[in-house]
Amino acid sequence: MSKFLNYTLLIFLFFYVNIAKSFSDNLKMSEATIQQMIIEAQKHAISTIKLEPDERSKKITLLIKKYINLDFMCKATTGTFWKKASETQREKYKTALLNQIVLAIEEHLNTLATLSYKPTKSEKRGKKLIYVRGIIEDPNKKKPNVNLLWKLAANKNGSFLILDLEIEGISLVSSQKAETVSVLRKNRGDFDILLMKMSKDK
Amino acid sequence: MTKKYKFLFIKFIIAAFILNGCSSSTKLVSENKDPFEKMNRNVFQFNKYVDQKIISPISKTYVKKIPTKIRSSVSNHLEWMDTPSTIINSALQTDMENTILASAKFLLNGLTLGFYDLDKGETIIKKKDFGSTLASLYVSEGPFLMVPFIGPKTTRDLTGTILDRQNMSTLSPNSIDDLYLAEIPINMIDKRSKMSKTIDNIYLSTDPYIKVRTIYLQNRRNEIYSKNYIENKNNNLDAEFEKLLD
Repeated sequence: MSKFLNYTLLIFLFFYVNIAKSFSDNLKMSEATIQQMIIEAQKHAISTIKLEPDERSKKITLLIKKYINLDFMCKATTGTFWKKASETQREKYKTALLNQIVLAIEEHLNTLATLSYKPTKSEKRGKKLIYVRGIIEDPNKKKPNVNLLWKLAANKNGSFLILDLEIEGISLVSSQKAETVSVLRKNRGDFDILLMKMSKDK
Repeated sequence: MTKKYKFLFIKFIIAAFILNGCSSSTKLVSENKDPFEKMNRNVFQFNKYVDQKIISPISKTYVKKIPTKIRSSVSNHLEWMDTPSTIINSALQTDMENTILASAKFLLNGLTLGFYDLDKGETIIKKKDFGSTLASLYVSEGPFLMVPFIGPKTTRDLTGTILDRQNMSTLSPNSIDDLYLAEIPINMIDKRSKMSKTIDNIYLSTDPYIKVRTIYLQNRRNEIYSKNYIENKNNNLDAEFEKLLD
């Protein structure tokens, strides 16, 4: 009986240690992904400052594609309307959303190069999600600190991709979803009108 | 209790009851309730027109002509003028740490009439207003409103803003009251100059009204609700995200 108990305990410990290790590995990998992205973005900001705007945008697009889960963001920002969209409309929406993200990042890229990022805490949420919290600080202390929360999940290859970013509690996915769904609802789910409006924004 | 304090107390009680009556549920946070959307959109258009024709050009000139140091002094002074409201509301919300810190900072910066931050931003104070006090008393936020010249508010926050102003004028002498009136347009220009890029970007978005509403509500709820609310919100979003990842 005691042998059985010992084996059970050993098996339990083995699984516990492995699960705990995989959790902490995932947390470390997520944190490293964010750190790496920030470093690359800051490098980009400096190295691309003299490039033509189009060239700069292309480079930033590549960087963003590497780190965000665009397919997920498209689904999350369109809600139930995503299922009704055709393949072409989905592709066009993906490009339009990516352009919007690129534009938003381009605007803040030069400022980002002067600030420093510090990870504060990361936690596993549910089965797949990982939260990585951090703050953006101004080394000269002229600007207030900005709290960031990155939401990540592993893709099929095992690398972590960003699903959403909350800046001071404001979720980018939720904000975009509110806007997109409002336009789609008003136009009875017509994706073409949404795409037209999004291209006008640009 | 003097007559003016009695009046203040009665106003507070009435406002709390009116707002409680407005809410259809006892839930802390409703979904984006916007029964006046059509009217709100018209007011938004009006505010946008005023902003683009008057406030934005003035704020651009203000940024161009006035040196950064003077602008930051003006910002500091405006923030300092708002501190009494934070002190009173922190006390009402029994947040003693914030009350003490805000009082100390108010007194310290009072040496320069708030134009210079002697504390150099070391003490972080949570801004509190009457809207957040009402929230701490479980008054529901009520429908979303777009107020002319003021911008986005919930019914509860609008009541809070009005009561905040009234409280200050009740508690302060007439000269200070006049100063508060002069402060409003300066505050508008100062805030516009600080958020110029953000506001201009909002105007370029697919539905600027919805963007303003969602950003305002998310920001406001994060400011005034406890960790429980944020945890609940995150749990709901997590469930939605996990479903999409499957």
